Amino acid sequence: MTRRDSLYRRLLTWLLLPLLALGGLMVLQAWMDARRTADRAYDRLLEAATLAIAEQVQWQEQRLWLDLPPAALEMLATDAEERVFYALYDAQGRFVTGNAELPGDPREVGERADGLLYRDIVWRDLALRQGVRRAHLEDWRQRERFEVRVAHTREGRERLAAELLRGNLAYILTMAALAVVILLLAIRAALAPLTRLRRAIRARDPRTLAPLALSLPRELAELRETLNDLLARMRRVRANQERFIGDASHQLRTPLAGLSARAELALRQDDPARWREALEAMHTTSVRTSRLAIQLLSLTRLDNPEYRPELASLDLNALARQAVRAHWNACHRDAVDLGVEASPSPVTIEGLDWQLEEALGNLIDNARRYGARHITVRTHASPPTLEVEDDGPGIPAERRLLMLRPFHRGSDDPDGSGLGLAIVDGIARTHDARLALEDGDDGRGLRVVLRFPGDTP
Amino acid sequence: MRLGVATLLLWLCTAPLAAAQDLHYPARPQPNQATGQLVIHGALDLVHVRPLLAAFHRRYPGIELTYRNLDTLPLHERFLAAPDEVDVLISSAMPWQYRLANDGHAQPLDAAVAAAWPDWARWRQELFAFTFEPVVMVVRRELIDRFGRPESHADLLTLLQRHGTALAGRVVTYDPSRSGAGYTYAIEESRLSPRYWDLVAALGQAEASLVDTTGEMLAGLAEGRYWLGYNLLGSYAHRVVERDPALEMVIPDDYALVTQRLALIPRRAPHPRSARRFLEYLIGLEGQRVIAEQTALGAIHPALDGPGTADRLRATHGEALRPLALGPGLLATLDDLKRQALLARWRREFSRGGEAGE
Repeated sequence: MTRRDSLYRRLLTWLLLPLLALGGLMVLQAWMDARRTADRAYDRLLEAATLAIAEQVQWQEQRLWLDLPPAALEMLATDAEERVFYALYDAQGRFVTGNAELPGDPREVGERADGLLYRDIVWRDLALRQGVRRAHLEDWRQRERFEVRVAHTREGRERLAAELLRGNLAYILTMAALAVVILLLAIRAALAPLTRLRRAIRARDPRTLAPLALSLPRELAELRETLNDLLARMRRVRANQERFIGDASHQLRTPLAGLSARAELALRQDDPARWREALEAMHTTSVRTSRLAIQLLSLTRLDNPEYRPELASLDLNALARQAVRAHWNACHRDAVDLGVEASPSPVTIEGLDWQLEEALGNLIDNARRYGARHITVRTHASPPTLEVEDDGPGIPAERRLLMLRPFHRGSDDPDGSGLGLAIVDGIARTHDARLALEDGDDGRGLRVVLRFPGDTP
Repeated sequence: MRLGVATLLLWLCTAPLAAAQDLHYPARPQPNQATGQLVIHGALDLVHVRPLLAAFHRRYPGIELTYRNLDTLPLHERFLAAPDEVDVLISSAMPWQYRLANDGHAQPLDAAVAAAWPDWARWRQELFAFTFEPVVMVVRRELIDRFGRPESHADLLTLLQRHGTALAGRVVTYDPSRSGAGYTYAIEESRLSPRYWDLVAALGQAEASLVDTTGEMLAGLAEGRYWLGYNLLGSYAHRVVERDPALEMVIPDDYALVTQRLALIPRRAPHPRSARRFLEYLIGLEGQRVIAEQTALGAIHPALDGPGTADRLRATHGEALRPLALGPGLLATLDDLKRQALLARWRREFSRGGEAGE
């Protein structure tokens, strides 16, 4: 676990980012609200000013006449000292009087009774808020229409908006700070059991495989159960290993003790014929013992989970034929009929030839030793399969699984080590192949099947 | 509209001499001193502006200083025609100066003195009032001896109503239709009190002479042609009255208008650094002290309270002083229709008084 990739940081990032985005949205919203509020407040000034001006508009000397009230302009300038503009236009849109030729408002007044329109404009590089009042003279005969346009700069509005925003911002920031603090505490609290678990694991005696007994939240309890499962498996593996070592030492001790006894017995005698006899017996025993030692070694190697050999492409047909050739002599001596039934097409798999040869050798050897008369090595193309079938006594279905254990023998044959099928099983696992023990063709004998993964077309 | 403004712009009062007068101070660069150029256009008589400029030049000898004294109308029009020609614009035509600033022709002055300047004497940081000039009456001894000294507008009204015939032709004031200053005062006074119209009628009754400038009024008063001048610019009257024992200056004690010179730095000023230096000097303690001690313009710096300052004037006439508000109300003064309406009323009232007197 590097520093960059930490659960704490992940949680923090994925909670803080949306929180920040949300906060940003709130600030934006607050800003727009503040602007709208300020505009609403200040638009009242535009309304009052246009009204004050409109009330002074008269019909005089055949034209619109305005006696501009200075107060109307003064009310447009607040403490912020806004720039102020006004203009009076007649019904035809002609400028009557004013200090600026302000643009008109293209919108219609619509249903609003007061006939007022507000909008933001940019006029001569000045950002202005403009109010336009459309009215008409309230004379008995003259009902001439006119338009009062006033505008001022936005300083006062911006000041008010900024003030409102500051208030809201303080609130939002306080909330954000609180949220962040709560978030930090919450994440810390949520991750506390993880720390407890880590401490519990670290504090353990490295040799013990006892399960972890630690109350944890559900998600971590699953992890704890998984760990406990793993520990249980490790306990079983270790028990297996201990039994295997015990068995192996027992297996090796017996022939060695036999050898030693035989040699001692022979040494007490003077007859060379007896010596020879003893030597021959000792030779047989030592051959068997060395074979046993070799098998034990290869089984240990196969059982090593770290062992990952480089697999190469090979043809099962060629392998089967090769095995049959190698064992034909031995079988022929025992009058066993050894044959091969190869698939018509080549059966190519990824594998280790020497291991598969050993597996075949073990199977053929086993079959021969347990009294088969016919042994057939068979290959199938789809799925890639290697079988060895014999017509020997077979193994009862309920005992087949036991046979895969090391040192478990089907009979009390002194020659067998009880490792053959265990080795085949190990080899199968190395190749990711499935090992199956089945009945022979007509319910007799035994068929050992190795199904390899993949599918050769 | 423009034509109306042009007619309105006859602010001849502030410059008795029509010809443009220039002052030039060549640069005398000194080590470690600011250098540059500065062009000032002002409607401010040389007699007032000379000590101000001389003191500034002593302070910054490296700045080459050109001052053009213009009437308010040519000043305004010249600026609109060439807004990038001048660094500081000084004028007593408050509505016009205000309008220039309102339209965005001025640039703000970011300086400590500007921020400390009294709120009532500035607009944004763009427009600064730096003088305090009451509008006064000037009376001759003859009038005081015969009718007593009028101390207020009410006194004046009573005097005119009672002795209108005796004073026929002896009273002088601005013609609001020809003088911008006269028009500005008329509009302000009409806002202050409806009795102003009675005063106009009384002036008409007394067959008051209508002239264009304070200078003309002062000349007539000094000669003895007039016994009473109404609405003279105090800063100009002060100097004449001081030297002429036959004249007395009256600051009315019911209300007295106060006008102020407004200075601004145009947005497109060619030498903005020098302009800012000058304006800071003008509203700073140094410049204001020169105004208080060497001119009759009236200094308004809050730290000054000796003779020749607004504070001193307030101490004596505090309640009566009515400075023209530096605000958008000034824009109303410039409204064309409003001007026509006011002048029509003024003429009507003036001639009504005349008819009544006959």
